[in-house]
Amino acid sequence: MFYLRGILFPGDKTYFPFLRLKQVNATFLHKICFEKVRRTEITLFILLGLLLTNSIQAQESGFLNQLRIGFGGGANMAHIIDLEPYNVYEDLTGTTYTNGYTEVFQNLGNQYFVQIEWFNKYLLLILKPGTYTYRFSKLNEVVFSSETVEQETPYLLRYFSIPLEARYSFDMQRLRPYAGGSVAYSNLLGSLDASTATFIKPKFTAGAVAGTYIDLRYVILDLNMGYHFGLHNVTNKADRFETGRGDTFAQDDIMLNELQINLSILFSLQKQKHYSNVECFY
Amino acid sequence: MLNVFIDPMRIVKPYIALIVLLQLIISGCEIDQKEILPEDGFVKIYNHPDEELALFPESVLELSGGGYILISAVKDENADIEYPYTSLVRTSSTGEVMWTMDYEWYAPTSRLLFQNGSVGFVAMNQQFDAYVILVDPANGTVSDQQALELTMPLYSYMDDQGNLVVLGYDFVTRSSWISKYNGNFQLERSNMLPVNTDLEYLVQRHLNKMGQDYPFFIGEFSNSSGSGYFVNCFNNYTLRTVFLDGTSLSATGDIYSFQTEEGISSILQKSGSLFGLTSYYEGNNYIIPGSEIDVLSSGNIKDLPADPLYELTYKAAVMAGSFSADDNEFALFISQTNDNSLVIYQYALESDSLVNTHVREFDQRVEVRDFIQTEDEGIAILAGTFILGKYQRPLLIKLPLTLFVPEEE
Repeated sequence: MFYLRGILFPGDKTYFPFLRLKQVNATFLHKICFEKVRRTEITLFILLGLLLTNSIQAQESGFLNQLRIGFGGGANMAHIIDLEPYNVYEDLTGTTYTNGYTEVFQNLGNQYFVQIEWFNKYLLLILKPGTYTYRFSKLNEVVFSSETVEQETPYLLRYFSIPLEARYSFDMQRLRPYAGGSVAYSNLLGSLDASTATFIKPKFTAGAVAGTYIDLRYVILDLNMGYHFGLHNVTNKADRFETGRGDTFAQDDIMLNELQINLSILFSLQKQKHYSNVECFY
Repeated sequence: MLNVFIDPMRIVKPYIALIVLLQLIISGCEIDQKEILPEDGFVKIYNHPDEELALFPESVLELSGGGYILISAVKDENADIEYPYTSLVRTSSTGEVMWTMDYEWYAPTSRLLFQNGSVGFVAMNQQFDAYVILVDPANGTVSDQQALELTMPLYSYMDDQGNLVVLGYDFVTRSSWISKYNGNFQLERSNMLPVNTDLEYLVQRHLNKMGQDYPFFIGEFSNSSGSGYFVNCFNNYTLRTVFLDGTSLSATGDIYSFQTEEGISSILQKSGSLFGLTSYYEGNNYIIPGSEIDVLSSGNIKDLPADPLYELTYKAAVMAGSFSADDNEFALFISQTNDNSLVIYQYALESDSLVNTHVREFDQRVEVRDFIQTEDEGIAILAGTFILGKYQRPLLIKLPLTLFVPEEE
């Protein structure tokens, strides 16, 4: 056992989530990290198992030609909707200080996911479980007579998400453009950054997606864009002031919307149809 | 090979929907958060844009209708008068400023008092004469002021019976001056405790925030030996905790220390003759969570077994008080550490066992000045902090009751 900050307090027996105690058992910390990673692995394991089970069943029931599996990734931009501001600073002369978040185009994040599709002629159902990372910053200012101090506190939130999309596609031979809707359940992954405690774990989103499939015969590319609305406040109200840097700011009540652009590569479990005779010169 | 993996999954599959449903219910509860109200817990720093002002918070009071009043001593670098003037800030129950008011009364003392619907504070005029000033909590206008026939007020305290007890310093007789007033602020009893040496310069520097901030305080005790007040003040060359009879204000006992370099920084009666106290000596701080003290005799602070608190700042101010949470009684000692953290030691009231230690880290230095238990059984802590490491401003922290309720094993 060692002490992160070299201080032993007489009551360092119990950990309270509201206030951060200095005494940290390193072994315990590693254990927590290990547990979190293991939990994610187990979830992925279950999902993979379900996928395989479904695949086997699909094979047995002749659904194989309606399944596609692949992987993808892309960029996202977090769009923070400030529901209710909470400012640590109060001005005694009545001046209001800036208290907000960075604009959507400054918040560049990324995602990586497995893509599983079931389709019939025009309708597609898609699961895209994976890791979705969002970046944004809190902006605060404190005003003095001769200077205005601007503070920026960056955030990095990493979620394990399971988006479910329903798409309607149009058959244009090699291109199959589509539009549809999406709902997603996400769970915030653990972090050693204390400020992550200012957010709750679950997140539900819903939104619209559009894009196109590009059939390359052996693989199918999926170019996808979507805007997803947060369905609730993601701030942990009990710990909104536990930002790890107590006297700088508080987390506002916020909704986390997002704009996503993705590119996926899909592999059909059944032989693809040929769209044209032009290529069949043999 | 795959069957090893797939077969168990087939068994689990019917329960997946149930697991997902449970997960959604749990998530729904976490998302809801309706039971957490903004007034349950918050942090507020009250900034004045004038860089030449230093605000020294003194006391916080919760109003019955909700919200708080903070009193600060404001030191203006450019002022002709070296003593800080008084400033009150009225806040909502979530800490937002509702009004502020400055008063030409100097060196306001802890603590704020509430009397007949008015908020009161004790401060002095330019001639060092102590006054009690009453203001309307709705807008901060002065509704009454009365002379207290005492000089250089250092601490004021309203007892459970509504009597006002004020500690002052008389620079003519070189004595600590303790006076007791009734609910109408009429003088009932007064007593001088001779210092036997001239400490006026130290007292002046304490009042004008230029020197050491001495832990002057007043509190009440009641046990089989009688009832009365304990007063931390200069007496007989030293900073000493004197036990006074509640009626006559005559000294019955004391705890003395080495001159003015050592002293008790906080004390509270836990039960009967069991007291909890903190002290400092040569820069180190000590805690005596529970010790039998005879209020009828004189004793040296070194005779009390103490545990060191090396983490606390040099000659740290400590605020001590009792606290009830979920029908449990606790003694709280609140102070600040060398790594810019605010620390709360939560002890059982009836014993010397430590229940918990709570720590809250800050960017800048913090100095605890006062705390109260609020109507919702949380606590509000008033401290000073240094914005950007240089501008001294009041900091109000509200902590919820749930923080102090011990977890069941």
